[in-house]
Amino acid sequence: MGRQSILKSIKTNKPELVELQTIDANLFFEDIDLIETFKSNVKLVGGNIIELNQADLDVQIKELYPNVNKIVALDPSSKLGTISISKDTDPHSLETIDLAIIKGEFGVAENGSVWISEESFPIRVLPFITNDLVIVLSKKDLCENLHIAYQKIADRNRTFGLFLSGPSKTADIEQCLVIGAQGAMSLTIILV
Amino acid sequence: MSHSEKAAIFNKDEAKVNWHDKALWFVREKRDTSAHKVKGWEELRNLASGIKANVLSNLDNYLIEFEANAQKNGIKVHWASNAEEHNKIVHKILAKHKAKKVVKSKSMLTEECHLNPYLENEGIEVIDTDLGERIVQLAKEPPSHIVLPAIHKTKEEVDELFQEHLGTTPSNGNPEYLTNEARKHLRDKFLKADAAITGVNFAVAETGGFVVCTNEGNADMGSHLAKVHIACMGIEKIIPKEEHLGVFLRLLARSSTGQPITTYSSHFNKPAEGREMHIVIVDNGRTEQLSREEFRSSLSCIRCGACMNTCPIYRRSGGHSYDATIPGPIGSILSPGMDMKKHSSLPFASTLCGSCSNVCPVKINIHEQLYAWRQVIVKEQKQPIIKKSILKITGAVLARPTLYSFMGKSVRFMLKYAPKFMIYSKLNAWGKARDLPEVKNGNFDQWYKNREKNG
Amino acid sequence: MKVGLFIPCYINQLYPQVGIATLELLEKLGVDVIYPSNQTCCGQPLGNSGYEDDAKGACQVFVENFKEYDYIVGPSGSCIYHVKKHFDILEQTPDVIKVRNNAYELCEFITKVLGIKDVGAKFPHKVGLHKSCHGLRGLKLGSCSEKMEPHYSTEEDLLNNVEGVKLMPLNRKDECCGFGGTFSVFEEAISVKMGKDRIQDHLDNGVEVLTGADHSCLMHLEGLLNRNKQPIKVMHIAEILNSSI
Repeated sequence: MGRQSILKSIKTNKPELVELQTIDANLFFEDIDLIETFKSNVKLVGGNIIELNQADLDVQIKELYPNVNKIVALDPSSKLGTISISKDTDPHSLETIDLAIIKGEFGVAENGSVWISEESFPIRVLPFITNDLVIVLSKKDLCENLHIAYQKIADRNRTFGLFLSGPSKTADIEQCLVIGAQGAMSLTIILV
Repeated sequence: MSHSEKAAIFNKDEAKVNWHDKALWFVREKRDTSAHKVKGWEELRNLASGIKANVLSNLDNYLIEFEANAQKNGIKVHWASNAEEHNKIVHKILAKHKAKKVVKSKSMLTEECHLNPYLENEGIEVIDTDLGERIVQLAKEPPSHIVLPAIHKTKEEVDELFQEHLGTTPSNGNPEYLTNEARKHLRDKFLKADAAITGVNFAVAETGGFVVCTNEGNADMGSHLAKVHIACMGIEKIIPKEEHLGVFLRLLARSSTGQPITTYSSHFNKPAEGREMHIVIVDNGRTEQLSREEFRSSLSCIRCGACMNTCPIYRRSGGHSYDATIPGPIGSILSPGMDMKKHSSLPFASTLCGSCSNVCPVKINIHEQLYAWRQVIVKEQKQPIIKKSILKITGAVLARPTLYSFMGKSVRFMLKYAPKFMIYSKLNAWGKARDLPEVKNGNFDQWYKNREKNG
Repeated sequence: MKVGLFIPCYINQLYPQVGIATLELLEKLGVDVIYPSNQTCCGQPLGNSGYEDDAKGACQVFVENFKEYDYIVGPSGSCIYHVKKHFDILEQTPDVIKVRNNAYELCEFITKVLGIKDVGAKFPHKVGLHKSCHGLRGLKLGSCSEKMEPHYSTEEDLLNNVEGVKLMPLNRKDECCGFGGTFSVFEEAISVKMGKDRIQDHLDNGVEVLTGADHSCLMHLEGLLNRNKQPIKVMHIAEILNSSI
């Protein structure tokens, strides 16, 4: 039973080795406008996206979310944070967070997603449990597709990370798309 | 009951069949639109198919590699030969942590192992947190689709369910209201959970990490709040390298729902400080399927559900007609291998149109495997004597030209001259809703002979 | 070039006019066609029902009848697909291999082997084309909606050159009609529903004549049309291509 018998069974039953091909990422290369493609895909997946100068960041966020009180700002360019968190914060206490501002490492144009990881937020549940989410992303940090994305994160410190694409959503009730399921109710990407 | 009997019952409500069919065809169309936007889509499918073929031919080594890398990162790895072992292992971990409240995100594997009733029997509350799964959990039904578990439920039915179990006010099935109420209800469950169970979309041998994809964020809400995270995977979910995720994640959501990617593609490599992460690797009949040359590639399945969305029979009969954990085309080639007697009607619930094979992101030749299962089932399962006799006799007739010529004439004579009530009787299933062809004077043989005679 | 005419068993018995149209069409296109009179059936109904082994006799008869010909042509995508794909259960003698390699569905033979797209036919009607599954996805007579590939269609190429034909667009371009051989009897409810839905698509799009390259599909759809007295006529593509030449 268990490990030994499973491995033995596989060894007996597996077919002759089929060689692994290498991926030729050039097959998928397209000369696209990264920023425009990224923007249109962020909108496609239900996110908001605003282009502006870094200096205007906090002003814009205050305009978008005028009524928020409990803000966790983990992007150094924002001074709006009212709650500070660390590795020792109890994740359950973040239930009341209205807004989290996180720095995105890079964006993927083909699907409007942003890679964020434990490097950017010390408590894993933060981008999910917050009511609304803002990701600050540099225009320069965009790549075309996931093949390139995986090259970019190949040397990271592997703990926890994700491609985040749009706000949480569901279409489980008669295929009607509802934005805001169990995770963040909205996602705004601020492209600086 | 066989698939055809259940399907006939489903078809009594034609309006519902139309609604169900259109809902899923719409998802298929979204898949098409999305796939059209990807340069090299067919090449991507070829790659995915090739990677999976390599995986199946080197599965033991990849699993060993995965285990070593996962353990290095502090993930505890368990192995279960079958459903019972899996359930026991999960329970043991929960019991060790005195976990009484568990939240679970979508895992068809745990569905296959019937984990929920097992744990509930041990006094543990299990809440399925995917909205569609929560709906069917409250309705005490199995999911009818592997990606859209409650596709068979109208919003009015969901409204009534939520009124009863969540205390919502009647809303005529307002999706925003109902989803928001479910959010509040599930938040409460996430915050109080002692442990979280998730599935695994892909496990990477090279890194010992795994990926869980959701739109709702429920897998993450569960696993990052509770102190213990248990991830359950079938042995075939392994892929060799992290870069291969580029191929599979580009294919998965597009094939499934037409989205370019799910909202969250979470990459788990290490447990958070002070927490536990477990992975349970499960066989439960998969190594046996691996031994079947004709059916082995069905293990490549990445559980996207595209075959169900495109299948004209699935759309018109609903997932429950299959009476299998995984329904539809892929379910019909996986299930007979696990219980041939129970699932012997499934490979026949198909016209072999081939649409499923064409949408499959990993190019499983589903329609060919359906044909192949038919040959196996007919030999190994007792067949209805009438069907068997008719077909065997037909075979004998078709092998003998003169006898065939005689039979051809007799059938034509019967069709032409026998009274209508005899032909359109209950025994004649064709004639229930269709007319039989009108028999002409003479067949092609006779016409040709005459033509030759007359020069 | 010597062509052996393969007439599917049910066409022989129930729809001889399709066989006649096929033969006449090929002869008009200058082909030397012989009809081997001892042919029976390709064995598909048995194979699809799981009785592949019991069909071996029929398959052998097929090979015997057609082994002497340069090409075997038949007005049925599903039967030809069965010969090309499932005759792998026979011992692969040179005769078997020859027959498998040289079996052609009618439309494909005309366009690929004869290189003809305009057969000089005239048929001034609104036509709905049913792209039968085995011909479409099995023999690759045309591109299918699931795959990301450039559009092509053997039947459309031929029909678009028939004078007066107006090919009507459909909502679902290549959904299965629901015949599926014994499926039509053993899963009757779904089979009928699928057929009804196909017909509705043609009705919704103003089709007067429903056609295709597989008369099994057409037989099923015609059965429904006649029972429900709906105003669409059914004709095999061979009959349309053979008209008014």
